[in-house]
Amino acid sequence: MNFLNPQHFPIFAIMLYFLGAFLIVLFGKNRAARNCIAFLATGLALTLMILLVKPIMIDGGIIAYWMGSRVPAGGYAIGIALEVDALGLFFGLLIATAVFVSCLYSFSYMSEDDNEPQYYTLFLMLCGGVMGLVLSGDLFNMFIMVEILTFAAVALTAFRNRVTGALEAAFKYLVVGCIGSTCILAGTIILYQQAHTLNLAQLATIIPLCKGTNVSIAFALLFIGFCTKAFIVPFHPLAADAHGAAPAPVSVLISGVLTKSGIYGIIRLAYFLFQTMNLGTMQFWLVFLGSVSMFVCVTMALAQHDFKRLLAFHSISQIGYVLTAIGLATALGASAGLYHAMNHTLFKGLLFLTAGAVLHETGTTDLGKLGGLSKKMPHTTVLFLIGAASISGIPPFNGFASKWLIYQAAYEKAAETGNIGFAFVTIVALVTSTLTLASFVKVTQSVFFGQLPKECENAKEVSFGMRFAMGILAVLCTVTGLFPNLVQTYLTGPAAKTLFHVTRYINAMLGEGYAESAMGASAPEAATRTIEIVGVWNPVNWLALLMIALLAICIVAIASKYDAVRENKSEKVEAKYSLFYGGEDTVFSQVGGGDLFWGFKHNWRHYFSFMHDLHSGIVNDYSLWAVIALALAMVYALIVL
Amino acid sequence: MITLNYIASFFLIVLGLYCIVMKYNLVKTVIGLSIMDYGVNLLIITIGYNPGGTAPIFTAGELQAASYFVDPIPQALTLTSIVIGACVTAMSLSLVMKLKEMYGTLDTREIRRLRG
Repeated sequence: MNFLNPQHFPIFAIMLYFLGAFLIVLFGKNRAARNCIAFLATGLALTLMILLVKPIMIDGGIIAYWMGSRVPAGGYAIGIALEVDALGLFFGLLIATAVFVSCLYSFSYMSEDDNEPQYYTLFLMLCGGVMGLVLSGDLFNMFIMVEILTFAAVALTAFRNRVTGALEAAFKYLVVGCIGSTCILAGTIILYQQAHTLNLAQLATIIPLCKGTNVSIAFALLFIGFCTKAFIVPFHPLAADAHGAAPAPVSVLISGVLTKSGIYGIIRLAYFLFQTMNLGTMQFWLVFLGSVSMFVCVTMALAQHDFKRLLAFHSISQIGYVLTAIGLATALGASAGLYHAMNHTLFKGLLFLTAGAVLHETGTTDLGKLGGLSKKMPHTTVLFLIGAASISGIPPFNGFASKWLIYQAAYEKAAETGNIGFAFVTIVALVTSTLTLASFVKVTQSVFFGQLPKECENAKEVSFGMRFAMGILAVLCTVTGLFPNLVQTYLTGPAAKTLFHVTRYINAMLGEGYAESAMGASAPEAATRTIEIVGVWNPVNWLALLMIALLAICIVAIASKYDAVRENKSEKVEAKYSLFYGGEDTVFSQVGGGDLFWGFKHNWRHYFSFMHDLHSGIVNDYSLWAVIALALAMVYALIVL
Repeated sequence: MITLNYIASFFLIVLGLYCIVMKYNLVKTVIGLSIMDYGVNLLIITIGYNPGGTAPIFTAGELQAASYFVDPIPQALTLTSIVIGACVTAMSLSLVMKLKEMYGTLDTREIRRLRG
């Protein structure tokens, strides 16, 4: 057996994580051994994923790997398979990168916690689960991996169980997560009853042909199951709770990696297994869900007072963008959605790591208690600003490029179908982006600028290891924003193409010509969709424009500052003698982060208090939302599919 | 006969969901999760059942085209699902224990420090 054959790389990548988890249980008592195993496992898996870029992304191959060489017999898949196409590899690369950076960060961040060996075991289990999910070619294996990652995520959420709310968040996540997993299992078994196979490629040939009550119910169950993993709107409170309570490197995994597994599941389901994306109503509902997620979560984020909880709501808001773009079912939309998914992993990871650095130094994430940290932690501040600029879509960082593509995709869709609703989606996306920026102005003001409170005076710059991990993500945020054409050509383009070439996916697994012969005339045509971007934009021009604007602001600010200083002095002299004035010195008063958007919040107070009461924190309510979502999905599926 | 199995399995799933949504005691929530899981297990076993089929245990020589047996794959899936169900129960009960220590109550309406 030749170990250097790329055929074996996917299974090695999955095994490395699980093997690492197992070895840490055995040898994890020793810190050096533990860190070494974790570093090697995550680093080697990342290397394997990068090595796969050449055969899959550039040459356009698909790896179908049958475990134990049990190849299909008589046109029936009997073995368990891994199938890696460009889509799977794209998500695999994201996961491997986020995991590697998060692991580097953990080495210094978690060094003061007890039970460190258990932390790394669960950490690697979570990584292995997600990696197994995106590379698997078997529906039941996907369910197993979903369970593994849910358990690991729940345990990691409760890892610092003395933190307020950690246990509570873990329990809520477990209950609703289990409803989701059970839905996936029930959906899987109903599909098995229809098709008598669990292989994804074979299901994709059989299921689209047999429409009926069972298939509709299975679709609803699987869809809701993967929605709970992606934390789409009725499930967003769980994400907020879990992110806020978990240690920062775990928040990176839950936000950057776990939500991606849900998005991946939805894509596989809608585009491959059921091939429902050519239905107008399906597109409408995905776009609707995505838009609602974006808007609801960004307004929830505006009302938050906790740094990490605020970031968590933004995380789901950005997932809404991804879902919207994917729901458009155009080549440009799909590639924009995947691009934004990648950017989400990078900038959200960066933001959570900076929040972790703040927590590490000050011991709190309450926005009211923080302030002025830019004097103590200048590097972290710069890294945070890069992340904030990326998520708010400011050029030249990556958020701008992908959001621009999403606006454009939605507008083109509106022009193509003549449906004005899609143009409205663009407006919602723009408003959401503005609110995101507003919210990050608030965070920047209340955490990094302003006056330094007494409690935070001992804060100092975090260790080099943590800054290095954040630096990697910051560099990636900038690079992917500066060269969107390269990203489009080598990463998102090939991945988006696979969504419209389902036949290739089936044939790679079950032999050439299988899909055509099994499905006959209804075989999905290899659509020749090309990505055409109407408006040409150039980040360098935008960067120049931004620089000029910044320069202008600086000049105005400096000029007015001289005035202000002079005025201040003269005012001080006059103040003593002015009427109705006690004569005391003018006092510097801090503008708190919470006061920045007072007027806006006041005008929307009914909406905000309604939303606050709705997110009651009672686990029964959240499970009720899940049940209602499931019921609605079933009704929809029964009527339309 | 087999229809009754389907009815029973969906009854169990709905009962489990009812228990999770309506009961305010943490332990009852955990019981609800288990009942829902049992319902799904029953569904899986029922789908693999062939009336009159034998147990699917054959050596290579015995297996013929005429052999009639119940579908072995759902049974394997059920085993996995049962193990996962046991893990869910163990993990959620340990969380319930810790929650009781910390909050001093098992009422879900009082365990809501994270909200809004």
